[in-house]
This record gives sequence, C-alpha cells and structure tokens, in this order.
Amino acid sequence: MPDTEFNEEDVLTRASQGDRDAFGRLYERYIDRIFNYVYYRTGNLHDAEDLTARVFQRAMNHIKNYTDRGVPFSAWLYRIAHNLVANWHRDRSRRQEIPINEVPVLTSKGDHPEKNLVRSQEEDALLRLIRRLPPERQNLLILKFVENMSNAEIGSIMGRSEGAVKSLYHRTLLALRDQLGDQKINLDGE
Amino acid sequence: MKRSTETANKEAQLFALEGHLADALKPITPPSDLVVRMRERIRFPQREEIVFRLGGWKRLFLIYGGVMSGLLVTITVARAFFYFLGKR
Repeated sequence: MPDTEFNEEDVLTRASQGDRDAFGRLYERYIDRIFNYVYYRTGNLHDAEDLTARVFQRAMNHIKNYTDRGVPFSAWLYRIAHNLVANWHRDRSRRQEIPINEVPVLTSKGDHPEKNLVRSQEEDALLRLIRRLPPERQNLLILKFVENMSNAEIGSIMGRSEGAVKSLYHRTLLALRDQLGDQKINLDGE
Repeated sequence: MKRSTETANKEAQLFALEGHLADALKPITPPSDLVVRMRERIRFPQREEIVFRLGGWKRLFLIYGGVMSGLLVTITVARAFFYFLGKR
C-alpha cells in the first residue's frame, strides 16, 4: 500500500487493540530499519534475523501497553532492539569471544558488487572499530549513516537534545580518528 | 599559521572519516525470503491465543470429535487391511 495512505497514529491504535493486520503494516514499514540496526550492531546475518524477529514478536506482545509519549513509534522499536542486542552481546561474551570481524554479506542498496569487494577490507576495519565503540555511539552512527537521520530525529529516538547529539557525534568522530592511528585506513586523501 | 594548518588538516581528516563511514554504513536490504520467514514467525499464534482458542467448549468438543472420528477411520482401515491380508 502506498505510504501516503499510512496514518501511523490510526494504525498504532488498531494494532494496540489487537489488530494483527495493522501490526503487519507496522512490520512492513519498520522491518528494514530494525534489521539494518540489528545487523550493524551484531555483524551477523543469522543473529540479525533471529533478533529482528524477536524485536517484532516482543513489540506485538507489548503493543497493548504502548502509549504515545510524544516520541516516535520507531524510538520504542529501537529501544526494544537495543535491549535485545545488549542481551545478545552479554550472552555471547559469557560463552565465547565475539567474531566481530564478520563481513557484511548483503549487498548495499544501489552499489556495484566489484566496488564493494575493493573497499571491503577498509570497511571491515572500520566496522570492527565501530563495534568496539560504546553502544550509544554505535547507535548514533547507525542512525546517522544507515538511516540517514538528522540530529533532531536521532535526538528524539535517543532521548537527547539536538545539540547533545551533535556534540556526541563530534566526540565519536574524534575517538574513531584516534583509534584509526594503527589502521590502514587513509584519512589524508586517496 | 602552523596552528591553522593543523586545524585544517584535522578538519579534513574528520571529513574523510565521514566519507569512510558513509561507505561502510550503508543501508542493506534484507533478503525477501528472510522478510517472509520472519513474518511467518511473527504471525505464529502466541501461547495465550492457543489457550484462548481451546477455551471455548464448543470448539473443544468439535476438535475432540474430529480427532476421535479420524482415529476411528484409521483403525477401521487398518483392521480391513489386516483382515484381507490374513485371508490370503
């Protein structure tokens, strides 16, 4: 169904009354975003699939209790995803060392496969570094670059002001740049 | 002069880093079979729903009757099968 016909408030109301079809529409709308978020936080396709399904299952079970507090519905979903990813990392760290250098195996939207191969080593190194950042900073980078969100939108999801997001972003960039000292990623031009 | 050059260099590095981040963190499309599979998982009825479905005595009676009839048919067919097999 076209996006113009999607009235989120109405769909949310129906979904919270137990309408499975309404929830299905929310699922269609947010599946890509949540999957992307979980995928970049875990770096693993199978776990991303499992966790994304669990995010929506949990959302469906608790949508009756969802109340609009002025924050977007996506913030609620991201919060669930964040908690599940945090649990996943905790469980993994108890069991074994996390293979954080797992390579993204999916094709990016509108990119050439050969180009992906050429850049993959640099990207892997950078993704490894990103996954070593504190979760809040990882969230910020994912929302900014993967979701293309503005600082204001990120702020509404992370519960921070636009200025605080801007400042956190700058500090994150500085931290990443410092960590890149030992890496082969060239920051001084091609 | 030296300080302003250093600042410009740092700015350029951050700019380049943003470019690398944009390259590394690109939106990915989940495979369609994965989306369908997940949808199936989500649509699977919850335990409470199954309990609710079994709660109505009429429905329960129908299910019970259906299972018993099925069993009866299976037993009859099996008996007939062994009867004809034994005759040979």
